[in-house]
Amino acid sequence: MPDFSLTPEQESLRDLARKFARTEMAPHAAECDRASRFPEEIYRKAFDLGLLNLNLPTEYGGSGLGLFDQCLIVEELAYGCGGMTTTVIAHCLALAPILLDGSPEQKERFLKPIGAEYRLAAFALTEPSGGSDPGSMRTLARRDGDGYVLSGEKCFISNAPQASLFVVFANTDPSQRHKGVTAFVVPRSANGVTVGPDDEKMGHRASSTAAIRFDDVRVPASDRLGPEGGGFSLAMRTLDHTRTPIGALATGIAQAALDHAASYSLKRETFGKPISEHQAIQIKLANMAQAVQAARLLTWRAAWLIDRGQKGTLESSIAKCFASDAAFAVADEAIQTFGGYGYMREYPVEKLLRDAKLTQIYEGANEIQRIVIARELLRGYG
Amino acid sequence: MEIVVCVKPVPDAETRLRTAADGSTLDIEAVKFVLTGYDESAVEQALLLKEANPGSKVHVVSAGPPPRTEEVLRASLALGCDLATWVEMPPGVAPDPVSAARALARAVAAVPHELVLCGKNAGDDEAGVVAGALAELLGVPDYSAVLDLRWDAAASRLRFQRSTEAGVEKWEAPLPCVVALQQAWNDPRTAKLPAILKSRRLPIAKVPPEAAIPATGTTRPTKFELPPPRTGAKLIEFKTPEEAAQKLVKVLKEDAKVFP
Amino acid sequence: MTGPTLVVGELHDGALSDATKEAVSVAQSVSGKENVVGFLAGSSPRGPAAGFGRCGVARALVAEDPRLDGVAGAVVAHLVASAADSLGAELVLVGGSTFGRDLIARLGIRWNAAVATGVTSLTRTGASFEVRRPVFGGRATETRQLEGAHAAVALRPHASAAPPDSPGEVALTPVPLDGVPASFWAAKRLSVEVVSRGAGPSLTDASIIVSGGRGVRAAENFRLIDELAASLGGAVGASRAVTDAGWRPESYQVGQTGKQVSPQLYVAVGISGAVQHLMGMISSRVIVAINSDSTAPIFKVADYGIVGDLFQVVPALTQEVKRARGQ
Ligand SMILES: Cc1cc2nc3c(=O)[nH]c(=O)nc-3n(C[C@H](O)[C@H](O)[C@H](O)COP(=O)(O)OP(=O)(O)OC[C@H]3O[C@@H](n4cnc5c(N)ncnc54)[C@H](O)[C@@H]3O)c2cc1C
Ligand SMILES: Cc1cc2nc3c(=O)[nH]c(=O)nc-3n(C[C@H](O)[C@H](O)[C@H](O)COP(=O)(O)OP(=O)(O)OC[C@H]3O[C@@H](n4cnc5c(N)ncnc54)[C@H](O)[C@@H]3O)c2cc1C
Repeated sequence: MPDFSLTPEQESLRDLARKFARTEMAPHAAECDRASRFPEEIYRKAFDLGLLNLNLPTEYGGSGLGLFDQCLIVEELAYGCGGMTTTVIAHCLALAPILLDGSPEQKERFLKPIGAEYRLAAFALTEPSGGSDPGSMRTLARRDGDGYVLSGEKCFISNAPQASLFVVFANTDPSQRHKGVTAFVVPRSANGVTVGPDDEKMGHRASSTAAIRFDDVRVPASDRLGPEGGGFSLAMRTLDHTRTPIGALATGIAQAALDHAASYSLKRETFGKPISEHQAIQIKLANMAQAVQAARLLTWRAAWLIDRGQKGTLESSIAKCFASDAAFAVADEAIQTFGGYGYMREYPVEKLLRDAKLTQIYEGANEIQRIVIARELLRGYG
Repeated sequence: MEIVVCVKPVPDAETRLRTAADGSTLDIEAVKFVLTGYDESAVEQALLLKEANPGSKVHVVSAGPPPRTEEVLRASLALGCDLATWVEMPPGVAPDPVSAARALARAVAAVPHELVLCGKNAGDDEAGVVAGALAELLGVPDYSAVLDLRWDAAASRLRFQRSTEAGVEKWEAPLPCVVALQQAWNDPRTAKLPAILKSRRLPIAKVPPEAAIPATGTTRPTKFELPPPRTGAKLIEFKTPEEAAQKLVKVLKEDAKVFP
Repeated sequence: MTGPTLVVGELHDGALSDATKEAVSVAQSVSGKENVVGFLAGSSPRGPAAGFGRCGVARALVAEDPRLDGVAGAVVAHLVASAADSLGAELVLVGGSTFGRDLIARLGIRWNAAVATGVTSLTRTGASFEVRRPVFGGRATETRQLEGAHAAVALRPHASAAPPDSPGEVALTPVPLDGVPASFWAAKRLSVEVVSRGAGPSLTDASIIVSGGRGVRAAENFRLIDELAASLGGAVGASRAVTDAGWRPESYQVGQTGKQVSPQLYVAVGISGAVQHLMGMISSRVIVAINSDSTAPIFKVADYGIVGDLFQVVPALTQEVKRARGQ
């Protein structure tokens, strides 16, 4: 029998994240958004409470959560502030490849310090030449004695300005295209690493994003993750694990938009009655509620399948794509429900729209998700 | 020091209140139960005393039905309490404060207890009766409205303040005793995620309630009413400002009962 | 036949407290004047116990001992329980205070009473009593039936008016102090510091808030709001018109983009009641509006309204509050 109820343990994890989101994150969300401020003090508190290293196993000092529990937490955090949540999930995204393909020695060396004190990591895949097509990657890793020399540029890398280590994808054999992609762990302190200025973004302004340049950066072979040429598969396996939390993040934004719209509609009066009594507004709210619930259930199901050991490529793509489109549509309707107030910076809903937008783009743009969904789908008919 | 903290699960402060179908109580369908704010503060006080007096133990005790009672005990364990005891009442039972005190006393009497801490009152029934009744059952003194509680090991005395109608009183008292804390003044800590996970696996001792304790005690709820929706102000009629002032103070005192 | 009702007295500045007098008044209405007996403990209770006589109580018990001043409710509970037993009382009533609540709690066990605290109304129903009391921070009211032969009730402050002061004698009977466990005397009250309401409570904690709006017209006039709040022991809030004008800092702003408050009493002075303001204070228990415009939307949500010029009404109100609170 399917059972959609949470265990008491899951409820208490969710409550912790909810409390943190509403008391620590939300009160600073507008200010960080306006000033494009990276609230390190909040991320440090999240680290202290175990809300940062969500996917890091307990043996390395992390919280060691399964994907479903991570999603519960991410949705709550995103309800408080989407941008701050991006900092958290981009960090977890960077830990995932080390967990998947790192040797025991590498895990000990790279992950222990991350569990021990507040440090951020960044996942560097996207390049100026195109994020959707990693096979066209231009960053090169040249064999040189007992190591490699990296050169090239990554862009739009979340946490790059603060991260102490980067997981970098580079090509060891460009003739092989994506079969030549290899993953490396590069400390920020390595010679030749330059992080560009913070990008000015439309939303998620409490997170930071920047380009990273690699000018003949020496990387020892012991810092290579998995075999040469294993990087593309590693990136795809990583994204299979981290796409679903984007669905949760989008669901959190959508729920916040619905909550704002519904409570506003009860208080705002036009033509002598609350706008919630106008059927046009009721229909909006009903559609928004459907979208939010469907987004949550698709996310839960994808996470549940992956926790049971399945690949879940189709389901996680559906969850990410549906939830992020839902978040954008729901935030849009929330603004419409607020009328002119919704368009004002002083009210929280316009930020939700800007934040929702990113979820349709990063970790695989929704066009790419639809390609994946169709491919997986058609496999079942061929 | 052997410290016992008594806690109660109460509806979350954000709960939308609704009357149950029979009209006599709160409808608890879909209500989320949490540690009452004052109890959170009592747990914090217990942990602060423990940290300041190495070798101390904090034992958390609660009486009530599943699952909410177990949940507040686990929440207290996650915050750092060492041991937990649950006086397990049948589902649906909501003991009145005196019956709750009787149930708690059974559990407290059975474990080492030098200092018993309670919150000022529960956020739901706001009775503030449990501490005094529990102290009577344990045969020890109790002090209410307590702030700034410290243990003076050299003098073997608790030192504390009480915020009463008389003002702020300074007190000292020996153990054993029951202390009801005034309010959430101590910025209670938040349980960390690993501690929450660990608390799920810690044992909770269960004590059956005494058969003689009636299901609701000696008081029985008969009606639970919510204020009617606002229908517009009652306008005060007056000829002079002084008359307006007098009439307003009168209604605030006698009708609204909010005059300080 | 019903037994007598015992009203346990408490002193304030050397005389019976207002809370005690309110309890006498409730006792007289549920049990009949002749069935009310007073009780007072202290180092020299006889003088103040005469106050019972002036409330129309003919008989009172007094426990006299220097150690009884400032003692915790536990000790008095022992004395009251024995007194109630020897009188064959059915009801013990106290005023709404810390002392009262402590006492009642103990009687629930010691005297096997059905207890209720914070009670705003007490009525007789057949052989027992029914109480009404606010719960959930005043967001709801519950009614409870007190069962069994004994009831012990602590009122909420201002549950009733005090009985009219009238000339009257009270016959005093001393009660013995035995039976109190020695350990109960071991605590010491070292000092009492009477606190002044200097800074007042913070906006979000306050049980009373007085807020001013654009109607106050200028920063210097905000003194009127401060004074009214001080007389009530409450905090000061403001509408955004006020914080935008810089008459008060932003931390005073109540509303959707300011603080969300839900005090027992919210007094809105010169505030029109824009929806953004209402969203910050609509859950207040009692709302009072003072505004010169009778069509101001604030009157739709207020419980009580004064349509008038705030510059006349507010100073008069401050005076009246001070008078009523004996300041
Ligand atoms: C705020 C922010 C944070 C980010 N953080 C990270 C990070 O931490 N690490 C990281 O590696 N990357 C990160 N990215 C990069 C992000 O993942 C990419 O932007 C994304 O994958 C899209 O790549 P692109 O921007 O190069 O767009 P392009 O690949 O140039 O695509 C442009 C458009 O064409 C569409 N498109 C492309 N190919 C196809 C096709 N075959 N069929 C149909 N449509 C197609 C795309 O969907 C898109 O609409 C971040 C981006 C942003 C904006
Ligand atoms: C994006 C946005 C966010 C907002 N957020 C908030 C918020 O969080 N909080 C908030 O308060 N507002 C907020 N507002 C502003 C809100 O819409 C109102 O403009 C504001 O509340 C008006 O304040 P007011 O009632 O003091 O002033 P007014 O609306 O000008 O009302 C003044 C009142 O004083 C009365 N008056 C005048 N003289 C006297 C007198 N002598 N005696 C008695 N009464 C008198 C008048 O009759 C009038 O009703 C927001 C507005 C926007 C657009």
